[in-house]
Parts: sequence; structure tokens; C-alpha cells
Amino acid sequence: MTELLINLIITLIKILVVLGVFLGIGAYLTWFERKLAGHIQARMGPKLVGPFGLLQPLADGIKLLTKESVIPQNADKPVYYLAVVMAVAPALLLFSVIPFGPEFTLFSYRIKPIISDVNIAILLVFAFGSLAVYGTIFSGWASNSKYAFLGSLRKAAVIISYEVVLGFSVLGVLLLAGTMSTTGIVQAQIERGVWFIVYQPVAFVLYLFCMLAESGRVPFDIQEAEAELVTGYNVEYGGMRFGVFPLAEWYLNTMALSAIATVLFLGGWSGPHIFGPLSPYIWFLVKMFGLVFFVLWLHWTLPRFQARDITEIGWKIMLPLSIVNVVITAIVAHIL
Amino acid sequence: MEWLIFGFLSSWAILSVFGVLFLKNPVHAILSFVSLILAVAGMFLHLGAELLAGLQLVIYAVAIVVFYVLVITTVPWEKVKRFEGFYKKELIFGFPVLLLAFVLFAYAVLKGNFARVGMAVENNPKAVGKAIFTTYLFPLEVASVILLTAMLGAILLGRKEE
Repeated sequence: MTELLINLIITLIKILVVLGVFLGIGAYLTWFERKLAGHIQARMGPKLVGPFGLLQPLADGIKLLTKESVIPQNADKPVYYLAVVMAVAPALLLFSVIPFGPEFTLFSYRIKPIISDVNIAILLVFAFGSLAVYGTIFSGWASNSKYAFLGSLRKAAVIISYEVVLGFSVLGVLLLAGTMSTTGIVQAQIERGVWFIVYQPVAFVLYLFCMLAESGRVPFDIQEAEAELVTGYNVEYGGMRFGVFPLAEWYLNTMALSAIATVLFLGGWSGPHIFGPLSPYIWFLVKMFGLVFFVLWLHWTLPRFQARDITEIGWKIMLPLSIVNVVITAIVAHIL
Repeated sequence: MEWLIFGFLSSWAILSVFGVLFLKNPVHAILSFVSLILAVAGMFLHLGAELLAGLQLVIYAVAIVVFYVLVITTVPWEKVKRFEGFYKKELIFGFPVLLLAFVLFAYAVLKGNFARVGMAVENNPKAVGKAIFTTYLFPLEVASVILLTAMLGAILLGRKEE
């Protein structure tokens, strides 16, 4: 019983740490993104609230929380509220299978810095990534607005087509590692002393595309399409309920998928021990936020694809490429 | 502790089943269907069938149900026939079938093949892959041919008339 209780407490602590850290970082990524966008467009970005505008996320949060909440007429209220949860929950659940560092011992308890080390972690990543589609579809449907619904249908089409490509692009790494557990994949890279990006460059590029599509970032942000759809599926939401959608999609999803990319292709927490005992975590976060920065950079640089082009590129170019990649990987891995 | 998790998951599943049966709005019904799938995936996970749980989530909860959701949400429900109460005749005719199915399942679970406790499998995905591509290769191929036929049929039906 005590064993179980201690395990339960350790898991709870891990969940609280991950939630606190990544929701906090998610809020501050808004500041970072606005600052970055400002500098890319030769502006200053937020600078008035606090030093360097650092208190801007707090001000935004207060503003969103104190806003009057307006619900459109004929909206389906239960689904309208439930859609918010369905958008955030998968994005948060993605963090449960990310290993942030190697196993360590604390007070004679072996602790893995991962919330749940399951055998099928990568499958769960696909599952949560695509479960997010329900939040989008139902938020668009429940708001009883044509713009919102169009945006949600577009997003659904993008997620469905790119989830398939994502699965096939990751298969190459799974073949090489011989396991679907995220810790196992990192271990396999450490044992070989090489990152899988070296063996799977095509898969990595495909994964990056899918990451952009899944998190609704430019150039795949047709469901937002400010000019045509006035920000799409969340247009009828107000206050913090509105704030939650970009938080889940643009920040939490981007961070989680970057972390998964780090695990799959960039060797997870591996790196030289130059920061003392904390170096695995620092390496992991450096790689992960390098990718996040790449995504933000693209977001403020590129124009948007047409809706038709996105699905066409997904099905006609990326899917065949990823399948060829898997076949070649399987043959080479079998021969060597 | 075991029964607590099982009790929670099974009552969740049964509640969602009632939701699917009795909710009038089709969107609410499909939402409770999704919740049922999640509950069943949780049960698989609880029983140690991790691969099955993952596939349940990826294939059932997303790949299949999402198309139902797309259809249901885009149909203008004002124009569709409303719910008219229970179909009594169908219920009377359907009940014996239901009873028979229940008896058969109960027998299979209590006395038949399902009653035998199998061995715990260490590496779920590997074991399933081996079984599928050696022992059950023929059924797998038959199933894929059936799916292919269905897919071709759907493409033919959805094709624009030239």
C-alpha cells in the first residue's frame, strides 16, 4: 500500500511540475512570439508593461479573464464549453509521454522524468495529436457560425491528411530503434552514438511539415486565415475561452511536437556533460526550444498556402515520399 | 485498487452507452460514442493490452469516428425527420436476438475460449505483429481485400458524373 501511495505521489508531483512549467512557458511564449514578430517586422513588439514588456502575458491574462462572456444565440451550450476542454486536453496529454532526462535516484527511489513510460508512447502521440481535431470541429459546430464552421472543417481536412503522413514518417525511426517507447528510442540513439536525423533526414523534414500542419502554424494556418475567416473556428469564443484555443494549438501543441521531434530525431537528452547534473535537461530543452523557435520564425516569414494545395501536397507528394522512405529504411535495416 | 479503476471505467462506459442510445441530438450522441471509445481504451490499458488501447484510440476514436462527425455536423438537421419515440415493434422483435447474443457472449466469457486465462505478453506490438503476419496472414489479406473493395465502391459512388 505504501509503495502504491508513494508511486501515486511521485506521479502527481511529476504531473504538477510538467503542467506548471509548460503552461507557464506557454503563456510566456506569447510574449516571446510577439517580441520576435516585432523584430522580424522591424517593430519593437510589447515594451510598455514591465521591463521589456515582460509583464505583458499577465496583463493579457487579466484582460481575458475579466472580459464579458458572450455566447452566440442558438449555440449548443454543453458542446460549446466542452470543445474548449477537448482542445486543451489532448495538447496537455501529449506531455505525458515525453522523457525529459535519464532515470535518477532520489532518497533510494528510482524516478524517471517522464509521467508515464508506456510501450506505445508514439502511438499515443498520434492518438492525442488527432484527438485534438474534435476540439476544433465541435467548437466550430457549436458556435453556430458559418465562418467558425468553415475554419473547423478546413482544419479537420488538414489534420486527417497530415496525421497519416506523420505516422509514416515516424515509422522509419521506429524501425531503426525497434521500439515504440520514447525512452527506448532515446536509449537506442545514445547506444549507437548517433542521432536518427542522420539516418532519416527525409523523415525529419516530413515530420517538420506535419508539425506545422498539426499545430496550425504558417504556412498551414488555413483554419485561421484572418483575412477570409476572421480567425476561423474560435471566432465566437470570448475572454479566456478564446485565449485557450491558441494556447493549446499554437503553443502547447508546438512545444509538445517539438519535444517529440527532439526525442525521435535529435537524440533526446543526449549531449556532453558540461552543465553538471542538470545537463540532460538543459540539452533537451535547448533542442526542443530550438525547434519551437524555428516554427515561430517560419510563422512570421512565410505566406499561407491555399486550402486546396495543402491537402494536395499532403496526399500526393508527402505520403508517397514517406512510404518510399519507410520501404527503403526497412530494406536497408534488414540487410545491415 | 484494481476494482476501483475497473468500476470507474465500466460505469463511465455504461453511462456513455446510455448517452448514445437516449440523447436526441445526433452530435451529442456521437460525442458520447467518443467517450465510450475512450472508456474502452482505458479498460484495455488497465488490462495491460497497451497496443490494443493505442490502436483503439488512433483507429477508432479518430480515423473512423471523425468521418461520422464530419457527416453529422454538416447535415442540416432542421430538414431531417425528427425522433418519434421508441420503435415498439422493432424492440419486440429485436429483444430475443439481444437475449440470444447476451447468452452466447456470457457463455463464451464464462465457459468458452475466453474463459481461459492467457499468458501475459511482454512485448505487445512485436507479439501482435508476429501473429498477424504468420498465423493469421490469410484472414488479414481477406480483410484488406474487403476494405479495398469498400474503398473502390466509395470512390465510385462519390465520383462526379462526367
